[in-house]
Amino acid sequence: MSSFVEGFLRGIGVGSVYALLALGFVIIYKATRVISFAQPALMLAGVVLVSHLAVPLGFWGALPVAALLTALLGLGIERGAVRPMIGRPAFVVAIITLGVDVAIRVVVNIFIGLDVRNVHDPWGLGTLVIGDVHIEHRHIAAFLCAAVLVAGLFAFFRFTRMGLAMRAAADDQEAALAQGVSVGAVFALSWALAGALAAVGGTFAAAGGSFDGTLWLTALVALPVIILGGLDSLPGAVVGGLAVGVAQELVATYQNHTPWLGGNVSVITPYVLMLLVLLVRPYGLFGTREVERV
Amino acid sequence: MKRLASGAAVVLLAVALGGCRGSDTETGESGVKTDVGVTAEPCPEAVNKDKGCIYLGIISDLTEGPFRALAVPITDAQKAFWKRVNSNGGIGDYEVDVTKYVRDNKYNPQVTNQVYQEIKPNILALAQTLGSPTTAAILPDMKASNVVGSPAAWTSAYAFEDVIIESGANYCIESMNALDYANEVYKPKKVMAVHLAGDYGDDAAAGAKLASEKLGFEFADVKTDTGTDKQAGAVGAILQQQPDVVILTTGPADAAAVIGGAAARGFKGRFIGTSPTWNPALLQSPAGPALTALYEQSGPWGSWGTDSPGHKAMRDALPGKTPSDGYTSGWVWSYPVKAALEKAVANGDLTRAGVVAAVKQLSSVDYEGMLPAGAGNFAGGPGGTFKQTQISKVDATAPTGVTKVRDMFEGPTAKAFTLDKPCFEQL
Repeated sequence: MSSFVEGFLRGIGVGSVYALLALGFVIIYKATRVISFAQPALMLAGVVLVSHLAVPLGFWGALPVAALLTALLGLGIERGAVRPMIGRPAFVVAIITLGVDVAIRVVVNIFIGLDVRNVHDPWGLGTLVIGDVHIEHRHIAAFLCAAVLVAGLFAFFRFTRMGLAMRAAADDQEAALAQGVSVGAVFALSWALAGALAAVGGTFAAAGGSFDGTLWLTALVALPVIILGGLDSLPGAVVGGLAVGVAQELVATYQNHTPWLGGNVSVITPYVLMLLVLLVRPYGLFGTREVERV
Repeated sequence: MKRLASGAAVVLLAVALGGCRGSDTETGESGVKTDVGVTAEPCPEAVNKDKGCIYLGIISDLTEGPFRALAVPITDAQKAFWKRVNSNGGIGDYEVDVTKYVRDNKYNPQVTNQVYQEIKPNILALAQTLGSPTTAAILPDMKASNVVGSPAAWTSAYAFEDVIIESGANYCIESMNALDYANEVYKPKKVMAVHLAGDYGDDAAAGAKLASEKLGFEFADVKTDTGTDKQAGAVGAILQQQPDVVILTTGPADAAAVIGGAAARGFKGRFIGTSPTWNPALLQSPAGPALTALYEQSGPWGSWGTDSPGHKAMRDALPGKTPSDGYTSGWVWSYPVKAALEKAVANGDLTRAGVVAAVKQLSSVDYEGMLPAGAGNFAGGPGGTFKQTQISKVDATAPTGVTKVRDMFEGPTAKAFTLDKPCFEQL
């Protein structure tokens, strides 16, 4: 029983990271109808910034500064590579983000250097032990941080003028434009928010260990998360992230009892879960059902 | 239509003749036969402009692949190695260039094949082909075209290939030696191999399995994947099955996630990792204390700070570099290429076929003490496989974070083992 609880709680921690990464994808998709494949590079850039800045500023100083700088990088991508493509098919823009991802990762790899790096987080491998249950501090921290950020984001979208403008632009860009909403500012803010979320999510993905250039692969798990949760649903990204995290860690806990499934089957769990959900709900758990006239 | 067909035939003929152009055989002033990748003109960075040039290619993981941290120093060390060879008079009437045809494979088999095809018409051999799956992608062509290559990998399959000139014990033998060492020091009953899929991890795991059968250990095989977020399954298996010794074949960040994760939940067993599992910066990571307490490294040769003429020459040739055993490996892997070229020149046949023939005549290679006498027996085929391994422990004061606890040795399991097919086929 204790291994089940441990696996579940670890899944909540890992799932919180996936939720933060997935939120970035969804925010950009809602605003621009483009799936940004540059998120892995933004995440890696944010983590590398934290690892460098944590030496002079400490972890808590480095994290917000890195998030801000990654937000600016997101803004730069939007201005330099995405904005000129307005009016082009979303597919074309998505492919451009793929190119941007590779370009940024090559540059960021130079700043990783030849050794593995770490983010100098305060949790390390520390654990909280309750009875037989070990809970890693970094997983608790990831969950708490994600909870605060998600609450802040929802409050932002609900209670601020810019949040309202972003919701309006997501619903109907032309109508929003007609009402005086600056759709360009909405696009820019979406990319900046996604950049900051990627930096924070990536930092928690790297906490407690070391990372190298392959860390970007973690962000790819956000893809099944957003499909599962619904491409245009912020609550879907959160629920999807947590569900994928918990499923993945529980399978990892028990996969040794099912050797006939092959080695490390937990790695494919997010994709299996996504397929199962799509069989029942083709637009994801919380996605908007699209109606098309034929 | 007829005109179109004859036009196509002319184009095809031209292409075919163009393809053959690279393999025309020439004989130089010194009577040495040459074909592809050898010119009478000096190398671009020649020390002696009167000498011709042998072009060797390097295909490595230089930008975004998982082994970049090793690949970059490996490549730098090889450039320094050949610069030293050229400064010492080159190979016969030739110097060697390894700078013009350096290509990045991103650790991707398709990219490897693409860049290999790009440089193949201009090179005599490959001074480096990094990675097992990547090298496997070009091996059939290398065999068909007589392109000899020095692999930056240690899979046991290379013992069966005439065009591959590997150095050091393969992963399979290394794991056998690691378990012989563990048997002596830790008296284990249960052994687990935690490894990546593919012939890097599978080869080491197969060696651990074969050694466990011989030594009477209970053996468990746990596959894992690249990525620190993908190690929960491996950590779970370790905690559930509580092996006494874990043979680890992953990348360094993954190794830290496995060892740190298991130790944080109370695991006290030992880990022995192959050389690619180590990176000195891991000591600054949260897993540093766990690594210091539980980890040892098996390696195919002595690390950067070892006292041998070859190690010293390497350190002298790479002034100001932060110590890394990527340099050590790149340097060691260059010796058999040098020996093969020297033998080919001595035979008067520096063609690709001549180099393959020269490799088959090498019964030993002078590694300047970096590997013991007897290493580099390519004439002996699989029976000549080198079987010695060094064991090192974590030592924060050492240049690369590890110092040896057991000098190069061949354990009884490896000694009795006959390599009759690649080990990973027996997992």
